[in-house]
Amino acid sequence: MSFSLIFKDELKGFYKSKVMIFLWIGLPVLALLVHISTSNSAEGMSISLITSLIVSSIGGLLASVMLTVNIINEKDTHVYDLFLIRPIKRWYLLVSKFLAVYICVSIACILAISLGVMIDYFESEIFLNFIIESVTESFIMSLSVIAISSGVGILIGVISPSIVVGVVLVIFVGNYVSSIPSIIPFVFDIENPVAIVLALGAIVTIILMALGILLFNRKQF
Amino acid sequence: MQKTIRCPNCQKITKCTGKPGETIKVTCPSCGAVGKVTFESIKDLSSEISLVSIKNISKKYKDVLALNNVSFDIKKGEIFGYIGPNGAGKTTTIKIMVGLLNKTAGNLSINSYKMPEQKEKAHRFIGYMPQEVGFQKWRTANHALTTFGKLSGIDKNVLQKRIDENLNIFNLTEYKNKKISNLSGGTIQKLGIVQALLHNPKLLILDEPLSGLDPESRYQVKKILKELSNNGTTVFFSSHILSDVQDIATKICILDWGHVIKIGSLDELKSEFIEENQIEIILSKRSDKFKEISNIPGVKNIIEKSLQKFLVTVDKTEDFDEVIHKITKTLLENDNRIRSITPASPSLDEVYQYYLRKGGEKQ
Repeated sequence: MSFSLIFKDELKGFYKSKVMIFLWIGLPVLALLVHISTSNSAEGMSISLITSLIVSSIGGLLASVMLTVNIINEKDTHVYDLFLIRPIKRWYLLVSKFLAVYICVSIACILAISLGVMIDYFESEIFLNFIIESVTESFIMSLSVIAISSGVGILIGVISPSIVVGVVLVIFVGNYVSSIPSIIPFVFDIENPVAIVLALGAIVTIILMALGILLFNRKQF
Repeated sequence: MQKTIRCPNCQKITKCTGKPGETIKVTCPSCGAVGKVTFESIKDLSSEISLVSIKNISKKYKDVLALNNVSFDIKKGEIFGYIGPNGAGKTTTIKIMVGLLNKTAGNLSINSYKMPEQKEKAHRFIGYMPQEVGFQKWRTANHALTTFGKLSGIDKNVLQKRIDENLNIFNLTEYKNKKISNLSGGTIQKLGIVQALLHNPKLLILDEPLSGLDPESRYQVKKILKELSNNGTTVFFSSHILSDVQDIATKICILDWGHVIKIGSLDELKSEFIEENQIEIILSKRSDKFKEISNIPGVKNIIEKSLQKFLVTVDKTEDFDEVIHKITKTLLENDNRIRSITPASPSLDEVYQYYLRKGGEKQ
């Protein structure tokens, strides 16, 4: 009961936040801008595919930065004191934050990519099935990247002493770590990379989250 | 059992001994006034059971010893004032009590639950307001209170009613639907107390609850804390504002450099402080022959606090009443006009400074 309550509250807090409004409106607008600027030059690549690539990198980065800043800020302003003196588990706070941001950023990505698909469908002669097939693959990879980035955001948020240090760390570390599952299938020349990327994404995210929770449980406020 | 009493006539503090439930006749050794003292019965003594028991708690931050063998008990219904200078270890003690910090050594139990091992059970009995109340800024006051109420296990059917009642008590109803980011520091401070009170905790732990509040709000909060104590809630609070502690605390603990310097009721603290009998004289007219009183046998010292206000120290071996009588007579004979003569009672501020100096000398 406590977990669902905290999760719902976090979801409410994030989807109403200015960053999330920017994402939900900004990412689809970005998809449109990509369409306008690349319609003559990016031959061979569908708008949906370009959009999903951009969205996954921006979405992942924003998710990690947002989580890191949020956790450090809440540590600094003693928000957790009021939660932790109530009969709840500490991990509820981190997992609910992770899920809330992950869901919100994923929805923003779906909106942006859907817009790309629609543009491709109405403006080009590519079949809808083909567009969806090509976009699905990159979208699944995007979900994996966003999950890992969010995990990095949580971990750095827990360990980082200040917002500046946290943001610098999350930009560098987040980018490197989240690209690991996407690179491995190509390095080892794996034929069906989606399943591998998904599995690797899940494993890396779980490790990052477990580490974050472990350190958060030991943390003294 | 022993009881410390203050003579209503001459304010002299005396200790007397008796059995539980017994009523004894007491004669003031100073003025001779006779009165009765009743000791609590065994039934009344149930309130003597410690709700909080702290034994030899220490806390070390790397090389710094923030708390050193701190021990005290808090009994049911007590208002326990925890005072000390900045960095004395007050917030550290509080955070250990609520389970936000781990102690380095010692034992702590709240309502018989060991901390931090059984903190989830103990948390059901604790209402806590930190020194810096941190609500998530995107929430409204009502939303924040609803969440904390639910997390504290309050039934959703009664929660809103309880929130409304508490907001009303603290005059916060108008802020109910306002965002936390739009509220003033004092209002957030009061909301902090409300969130701590929502689940009717047995033990209320407040870290500097009165700092940052205007005089009217301070008066209001003190009144509420007294009412809560009368209804059986135990209140533990830290404060820098000694007059507030003096107003409401039934027991006071002075902490300095991580050591407990002194614990006791205000009267007990004062009893050690008053080493000699002192009287305060206020004159409405002072004559040139005022100093004549220094020739009275038993008058040891006269301190001029202002032109018409004096503190006279009387030798302990002399009859206090006799000396006062002679002082009054001499003053009147020498054309002084007396506004008041009262036994001097130190303020908590003076008592606090005295114990801090004493504690400092020991270290």
